[in-house]
Amino acid sequence: MRRAEFVSRFLILVGMALAIGAPILFWSRTPLIHVSTAEAGGWSPDTLRAKVGKPLELHLISDDVVHGFAVGQMEMEGVNVLPGKVTEVTLKFDKPGTYTFFCTRWCGVNHWRMRGTIEVSGPSSEPEPVSVPQYVTLRIDIDAPHDSPVTPENRPSAIHGQQLKATLDISKFNNSDFYRTHSPYQVFEELNSTPLTDSEKWDVVSYIWQSHTTSEALANGKKLFAQNCAACHGEGGGGNGVFADKIAQTGEVSKQTMTGSEEMQMQKPADFTNPTRMLGASPVLLQGKILRGGMGTGMPMWGSIFTEQQIWDLIAYLYSFQFEYEK
Amino acid sequence: MAKIELTRNSFIKNILKDRRPQLAVFIVMLVGYIFAIMAGLVGTPVGSHNFSIVFVWIAWWAVLILVAVPFFGRGWCAVCPIPLPGEWLQRGAVLALPDKKPKWLNLRVPKMFRNIWLQNISFLLLALFSSVLLTTPNITGIVLAGMLFAAVGLSTVFERRAFCRYLCPVSGFIGLYSQTAPIELRIKDKQVCANCKAKPCYNGSSAGYGCPWDVFPGGLTQNTYCGLCMECIRTCPHDNIAVNIRPFSADLAKPSTRMDEAFKAFIMLGSAMIYAGVLLGPWGTLKDAAYNVGSSAWLVYALVFLTFIFAILPGFFTLGMLKTKSIVPLKKRFASLSTALIPLGLMFWVAFSLSFVLTNASYILAALSDPLGLGWNLFGTATATWQPMLTIFLAPAQTFALVGGLIWSARTTQKAAQEVKVSPIPVHVYSFVATSLMLWLLL
Amino acid sequence: MPEPTLTQPIQSTVHRTFHKMRSYLSSLLFLMTGLVVVFVPLPASTTAHQERTFQIDARQFSYFPSELNVNAGDTVTIKLVSNDVVHGLYVDAYDVSVEADPGQTATLTFIANKAGAFRFRCNVTCGAMHPFMIGKLTVGSNHWLYRSIGLAILAIMGVIVLIKRKA
Repeated sequence: MRRAEFVSRFLILVGMALAIGAPILFWSRTPLIHVSTAEAGGWSPDTLRAKVGKPLELHLISDDVVHGFAVGQMEMEGVNVLPGKVTEVTLKFDKPGTYTFFCTRWCGVNHWRMRGTIEVSGPSSEPEPVSVPQYVTLRIDIDAPHDSPVTPENRPSAIHGQQLKATLDISKFNNSDFYRTHSPYQVFEELNSTPLTDSEKWDVVSYIWQSHTTSEALANGKKLFAQNCAACHGEGGGGNGVFADKIAQTGEVSKQTMTGSEEMQMQKPADFTNPTRMLGASPVLLQGKILRGGMGTGMPMWGSIFTEQQIWDLIAYLYSFQFEYEK
Repeated sequence: MAKIELTRNSFIKNILKDRRPQLAVFIVMLVGYIFAIMAGLVGTPVGSHNFSIVFVWIAWWAVLILVAVPFFGRGWCAVCPIPLPGEWLQRGAVLALPDKKPKWLNLRVPKMFRNIWLQNISFLLLALFSSVLLTTPNITGIVLAGMLFAAVGLSTVFERRAFCRYLCPVSGFIGLYSQTAPIELRIKDKQVCANCKAKPCYNGSSAGYGCPWDVFPGGLTQNTYCGLCMECIRTCPHDNIAVNIRPFSADLAKPSTRMDEAFKAFIMLGSAMIYAGVLLGPWGTLKDAAYNVGSSAWLVYALVFLTFIFAILPGFFTLGMLKTKSIVPLKKRFASLSTALIPLGLMFWVAFSLSFVLTNASYILAALSDPLGLGWNLFGTATATWQPMLTIFLAPAQTFALVGGLIWSARTTQKAAQEVKVSPIPVHVYSFVATSLMLWLLL
Repeated sequence: MPEPTLTQPIQSTVHRTFHKMRSYLSSLLFLMTGLVVVFVPLPASTTAHQERTFQIDARQFSYFPSELNVNAGDTVTIKLVSNDVVHGLYVDAYDVSVEADPGQTATLTFIANKAGAFRFRCNVTCGAMHPFMIGKLTVGSNHWLYRSIGLAILAIMGVIVLIKRKA
């Protein structure tokens, strides 16, 4: 019986060693990016390296809930990262620089904080021109109140505005730079020289706003809003999204001083259905808020995530909470 | 229905006597068990995609409660890997026969622990933490590892399978419910044992080891503590031990009157009902309370849990007995009649388990192909999606199990009531109310 | 002399056979009643089919509301609003489902043509207690529960009556 005993002991020891060793070996040698909610650590690792022209293969797995992965400034569709399942993503970069990747499926009130960076190295052709946002060059204080002194009695109709504009010369409003740098209220004021009633003036304003966007852009803006903004700002833009109360609550914990004289507080998300606030805001001011974020108010900074076109599309959609555009 | 002696068939007898097929099964089980521990510790923290959660709480649990216990009694104990490393150490061998003195302490378990109270407590401990245990891979890994180390540790101090007999939380209820099984290990002829002086079945000999479950095979009348390890069949020099098929719940014809076993019946009945309500019900506050271990809500939950099991369930049970006067003492009546809750509790657990097993069995496919959540696809099923199975059969199956359990339990009540000379009606009412409650919770 | 001794064995055999037949008949009666309890069709509901819409808020790990009641034949619309992470809602037996991200209400519409009680559950892994995130939809009445309790009553009565007879 001695040989049988020896073989048995050998099998047992080998079996146990494999059962212990194999999982440890494979686990330590499988490069995975573990993804969990921001409170639980977010992306792990959160900084990646790549080379220009060389494909970067990523293996992502969620450790808790459904997340998504996309790289900013690329209009990339989010790739789902599912709990317990490995997702493969291959990226290729043409230009060196620092890219931001982010979570694309809402996973809690701190979902937007789930960001990481990819350092792409390589020979650069020419230095990238630094684009300064217009709110900076125009010295607009995007944190100052921007209430419109006058608000329309009824929801302005762009169709009606279109009919009215035939009688007016609104060529200067067709200039996109003019549109971007003026709030609807300011354009309303500019129309004071015309014989229109207040209600009619607002209709013209809404037509002007509609003329600076397309239905595709509005559809794109709507999609971006649903995916990125509605969770806090509400599906109807009313500042009452599912996380609205949580943000205000966490305000007690986080306060940040800006320029020494103002304290920014976590607050309820902006209500885009409020005409006083919205009609006093120019597109460039809204762009500033979206790019820079809220400095401790809970509003994320989207500068590294959205392309410029995406932001203009989103802004065009925001105004559609105020104006009745033609379908 | 008479007994059918399986070991009359020489093929069966030789398979059971031969140590090697059993060892082969042992090795597979032990390797699988250790892999489950490792998967729990290093694998994905997402329970539904981790081998440890899926294969312990869905696959193994399904086989245990739906097949092994009802049909094979302590059949799981016969192949369980937990006691093996400790036992091999005790014996100093894996296959070889005893040829040297045991080198470990081999102390007898102290009398005050030679009952199933420790098992009642260990089961309740797991039960109170079950929401976390069932859903968190590393906790499952730690508990499995803990049981293995406890078994080894106890084997180095105490004789035989002390962990299995006195501590293992699973062993406690498998033992109780094994009384209902249609399979048994018993001696053939009492006279042969009476004339046998050495009793090697218990004391061991050069042919084999003494019963690891600390049972004297010659005196076995119930399945409760026999672990079907087949050691006695190897040692008996008179070929006087047989494995038989017999009618279901034959052991309950002569109901046991032990209090530890009586309370085990209530523990199992009560926990099945609480699990059905908390885990499978639509009441979110209960789930939060059960999951947030350490919170004040959980403390309340734990208190209610224990009160239900130790006060409410046995309290109402006893109420039915208080009015009747009998020469048999109350304690004995209580313990004897509570054996009616054994088939009832078993079917409660079957009905409850059917629900979450059929709902979640599809996770087994994905866990087979990618047990650690590393992106493997060993069998091509890693992308299998969650899909509840056989859902049309679930409700009828649960009704069949619960009503069947009620009938089974009522028949046991009749027998037990006869033994202790009381009316069975109060227990019938109790069992009916409990069954209706369970039907309401599950359907 | 021979007559009394002959009739006694015959009498007891007749008695035993009679008792056996009675107990067979009783068992048969219980069985038939059981089949009736299980299979007797319920009267068709006379309430007109309605369109019912519910908003269900989902959070880790429960739904609010978690219990819905509709009539058989109603067209049920569920608007799933997710409050924290991506959740799903899958209805047992109907095998329909929907998933919602926070900020994006998802709509599920189906006709409640099967009567009874059905659990709905989350079908998107949403955290540890995900397998137990459950709600209950009752279409019409939970007739299977009532039938089952009926069977349970029958069962216990059956045991009392039939087993007593044997003793």
